[in-house]
Amino acid sequence: MTQYLVKRCLSTIPVMLLTSVIVFGLMRLLPGDPILLLVEGAQTEVSDETIDRLRAMHGLDEPIYVQYVIWLKNMLTGDLGWSFQTNQRVWDIIRVRILPTVQIGILGWIMAILVGIPLGLLAATSPGSWRDWLSTGGSLIGAAMPYFLIGGLLIYIVALRLRWLPASGFVSPFENPIDSFKTSIMPAITLGIGLAAIVMRQTRSSFLEVLQQGYIRTARAKGLSRKRVIVSHAFKNAILPVVTILGIELGALFSGAVITETIFAVPGIGRLLVDSILARDYPTIQAVVLFITLAVVIANLLVDIAYSVLDPRIRQSVSHA
Amino acid sequence: MCLMPSSAAVVSEAVCTGRSPFREGLKRFFRNRLAIIGLVLVIIEVVFAVFASVLTPYEPNVMDYKALLQGPSAQHVLGTDELGRDILTRMMHGAQLSLIVGISAVLIAVCIGVPFGLVSGYFGGVFDEIMMRVVDSVMALPALVLALTIAAVLGSGLVNATIAIAVVTAPTYTRLVRGQVLAIKQNDYVVAAQSIGAPTWRVLARHLLPNTFSPVIVQASLGIGFAIILESSMSFIGLGAMPPTPSWGNMVQIGFQFLEIAPWCVIAPATAIFLAVLGFNMLGDGLRDALDPQSGS
Repeated sequence: MTQYLVKRCLSTIPVMLLTSVIVFGLMRLLPGDPILLLVEGAQTEVSDETIDRLRAMHGLDEPIYVQYVIWLKNMLTGDLGWSFQTNQRVWDIIRVRILPTVQIGILGWIMAILVGIPLGLLAATSPGSWRDWLSTGGSLIGAAMPYFLIGGLLIYIVALRLRWLPASGFVSPFENPIDSFKTSIMPAITLGIGLAAIVMRQTRSSFLEVLQQGYIRTARAKGLSRKRVIVSHAFKNAILPVVTILGIELGALFSGAVITETIFAVPGIGRLLVDSILARDYPTIQAVVLFITLAVVIANLLVDIAYSVLDPRIRQSVSHA
Repeated sequence: MCLMPSSAAVVSEAVCTGRSPFREGLKRFFRNRLAIIGLVLVIIEVVFAVFASVLTPYEPNVMDYKALLQGPSAQHVLGTDELGRDILTRMMHGAQLSLIVGISAVLIAVCIGVPFGLVSGYFGGVFDEIMMRVVDSVMALPALVLALTIAAVLGSGLVNATIAIAVVTAPTYTRLVRGQVLAIKQNDYVVAAQSIGAPTWRVLARHLLPNTFSPVIVQASLGIGFAIILESSMSFIGLGAMPPTPSWGNMVQIGFQFLEIAPWCVIAPATAIFLAVLGFNMLGDGLRDALDPQSGS
């Protein structure tokens, strides 16, 4: 088990490094000089010396590979640089944006599990019935629904017409837990419906497969009830692919956060990415993209570890390899 | 006479009835109700896109200050926007744009992804190792996040958005084709071709490539749906099509400002995105069931 964990953790390093090269390279390929862009907004005339000094201050006068090494070292030591736009530390900007994104993401994720798994189970236990058709159709529709449509309908009906929930903004749970929940419920639903559809579909197909296995028939033959067989025999095996999907789709939640946070005016990581892209604030873009990648890679690592706990065969195959 | 083992049932069915596997697949496709619905949705979008200027009396960018933000009526079936432009007309022209971007992004992605997958799977070794790490890294980044970053580098606009979408989705095809090649490169006909001295390019092009067509076509159909979502998201953020170009994404973006008084400005184009994506997803699922019956759904 330890061997597996170490191996799996080490395997994330090349992915992280390559991603950092991709992100860094993309930013440096940008047309337009970021320093000129920075001084463009200045009120007074900026001298050439000042521009050179600014360039040196941001390390932009070094050769590109030196810039990369310095940049990577800074990233690893937690120094994410200074924002071009607001002249704050990038980390200070990101820090306050994490909570809304994580809170809404987790709520959406939980919602997807609570809706997706039971519906998938319902469909798998009565294949071909109207319940199966209903949940299969529902998952097709849910998976194709763009965030704009769900978000637009929710804001229009729930916030603007019924006035049950606020249409936009975010309140911190430390300030007011109830208002915080109220502001995050609609973004979470918007984010969660697509994931729920995917989870439902995966649950259905993996339960359908497991329920055809011989040991399930044996368990039924020895007189166990359907419910008992599903809960104690089928569930653990059938849920494995669902766990994988939940991990893989974590990245999609960040893509979703970009749109939902824009729709609901939530000051989160996704909205920060959009704002910094529109403002061409490179240090912030880099840091946000790396932060998201790190979050996704760590999440996938955790899913793999959870997987190996659930399924001993995974550990075995690696240690024997 | 038919004495084949059941594992080759699909092939034998075709052999026994004298029909090609392609015709059998076609038959399976048209027996699948969901696939037909998907096909119909896609055909509707194509018809709207192709005949946009014939189907409606309005121009997509002509403003009418006497008819601002009007609700659905006989004159304007889906209402008008904040500049008095007919929303249905703009949606039809938006269909054109989303199809062009979706199809070209997928074509570019296939042209990048498939050759790398073929070579990676066939030769293996260091190249394959590096290729797969690159694919992993690109796929570790959320698609929209990476597409937005690339678009930020290239600048906004439709061509750049298309390129960004293609780059982001290409690794899917590389991985798909590589897996397919790994599975079939030990087959007798491939080994036979190698042993009679066929050049590598011929083995790749004649024996391996055609075997990757089915999964690539299925993925491409799903990929167009995904590209439409990405394009509309990028236009929504302001990094895709620029106003006044009618794109579903920027129609939704502007519509949100008037959501309270004119909800149709958001709901109509958002529903168009939904139906287009639903159509391509269902078509893709149907194609998978028809072309590759063993894989199940």
